[in-house]
Amino acid sequence: MLQVNNINVYYGKIHAVKDISFHVNEGEIVSLIGANGAGKSTTIHTISGLLHSKTGSISFLGEDITKAEAYKLVYKGLAHVPEGRRIFLNMTVMENLEMGAYSKGKVSSEDLDKIFQRFPRLKERRKQIAGTLSGGEQQMLAMGRALMSHPKLLMLDEPSMGLAPILVEQIFDIIQELNRTGTTILLVEQNAEMALKVADRAYVLESGSIVLSGAGKDLISSDSIRQAYLGG
Amino acid sequence: MMNFFTSLINNLISGLSVGSIYALIALGYTMVYGIAKMLNFAHGDIIMVGAFAVIVSVSSLGLPSIIAILIAVAVCVVLGVVIEAIAYRPLRNASPLAVLITAIGVSYLLQNLALLIFGSTQYSFPRLFQMEAIHFGQITISGQSIITLLVTTIIMIALHFFINQTKIGKAMRAVSEDKGAAELMGISVNRTISVTFAIGSGLAAIAGLFYGLTYGFIGPYTGSMPGIKAFVAAVFGGIGSIPGAMLGGILLGVIESFSKAYISTELSDAIVFGILILVLTIRPFGLLGKKTNEKV
Ligand SMILES: Nc1ncnc2c1ncn2[C@@H]1O[C@H](COP(=O)(O)OP(=O)(O)OP(=O)(O)O)[C@@H](O)[C@H]1O
Ligand SMILES: [Mg+2]
Repeated sequence: MLQVNNINVYYGKIHAVKDISFHVNEGEIVSLIGANGAGKSTTIHTISGLLHSKTGSISFLGEDITKAEAYKLVYKGLAHVPEGRRIFLNMTVMENLEMGAYSKGKVSSEDLDKIFQRFPRLKERRKQIAGTLSGGEQQMLAMGRALMSHPKLLMLDEPSMGLAPILVEQIFDIIQELNRTGTTILLVEQNAEMALKVADRAYVLESGSIVLSGAGKDLISSDSIRQAYLGG
Repeated sequence: MMNFFTSLINNLISGLSVGSIYALIALGYTMVYGIAKMLNFAHGDIIMVGAFAVIVSVSSLGLPSIIAILIAVAVCVVLGVVIEAIAYRPLRNASPLAVLITAIGVSYLLQNLALLIFGSTQYSFPRLFQMEAIHFGQITISGQSIITLLVTTIIMIALHFFINQTKIGKAMRAVSEDKGAAELMGISVNRTISVTFAIGSGLAAIAGLFYGLTYGFIGPYTGSMPGIKAFVAAVFGGIGSIPGAMLGGILLGVIESFSKAYISTELSDAIVFGILILVLTIRPFGLLGKKTNEKV
């Protein structure tokens, strides 16, 4: 579904992503893990078109999207929930969801019902200004907003960041549920344990390069992963 | 006592009328700032272009008023969108200083083009419509003021509706908050910024029209003073805030009108700018501005 081939991404002179290649098959949950500054966010920004790679190529559903503009990719079925949520804080919950459905034209009440069923808290707070939501609610809004576009591939950048353990569990349950109902997932996480547990496959990024890859359950029991990311 | 009251009301009305012209211009400044995060210093000169478009349409081509107004709006909308696409879009990721200098350059370009085409003489602005003044005892409201106030009120209500209720309006608010996140929703930031320039320039054309009707004469540099005052009004109200631009523009007009009537005509500009500085020391983000999150 998604194929990333030897991409190199720079910020000025900083070489943030170094010649990495990986792929995501339809129906999978693929996790991308790594420490702070490893290049995880840079990688998915490059996939969603907010950044562009200097060399290499990216294809999505068989189409070359290496140079595509970000807003056009949404129409092709790619959604990106950015790190730090980046919901529209001055707009209401409902307006945020409407923006999520921008590529669909009108907001369908069916879609809204589905989102509200999945995130009942958002329904209660639909008229509230999004900036007044709690961190967990904001994450749910960010995910709900992305789902409004009916993505085929949903990319999540650190959805568990800053959340209490109980909420982290809940978010990961929702991710697995979304995957069961047909959404392919590319998950970026620092919470390696959770990310590896739910993943079909995973890649480990270190200083801009992929250093390890494999099935989630194999990586979780590998020694080097245990030492580096799971606290021994 | 009665006389003072009458003059107070008359000055208030003329202040509201001039202030609503400032507000129309200030809206363009504030929307462009809120969405493209730049100060478009060429915005004032769009007023001049709009006014000249009316003069040429009516005085040279003999077209009817309403057609002349539509032409002026169309010319300014196209000009605004083209300026953005050619001069500002390539600088989207450039430093704010580079963008500012470009905007000043565009302003000089427009003024000098007008100078080349029309020369430095002032052109008298055609009287587009006749409307009787209304009298309430000693109080007189000129037809001019009535039309200005009526039209600007309608425009502001329409704009409020547009920004808050329509899909494009909401997209504009989303872009003003977070361009990247807006792109991730499928919103084209470039297109949204074009729409913003189109609206701002269209409003400037209307402002140019009322400015011409109010002051009677138009020259190549006509746009700069109302442009600066409207910029002050936008900052006064809180740059980036639409209600702020409306409030700032109207307050500025009223303060100016009162200063001219009761203090000094020569000092009125100094008083206006003095009040601005005072307000900004107390409220650095303007009357309705927000500290961190720019509102459109
Ligand atoms: N806008 C930027 N300008 C310059 N350098 C940047 C920028 N954004 C990221 N970097 C650098 O690129 C590298 C990769 O950053 P990136 O944000 O992709 O890491 P990450 O894996 O997502 O980290 P985290 O887990 O902290 O979110 C880092 O060294 C970072 O300092
Ligand atoms: Mg990151």
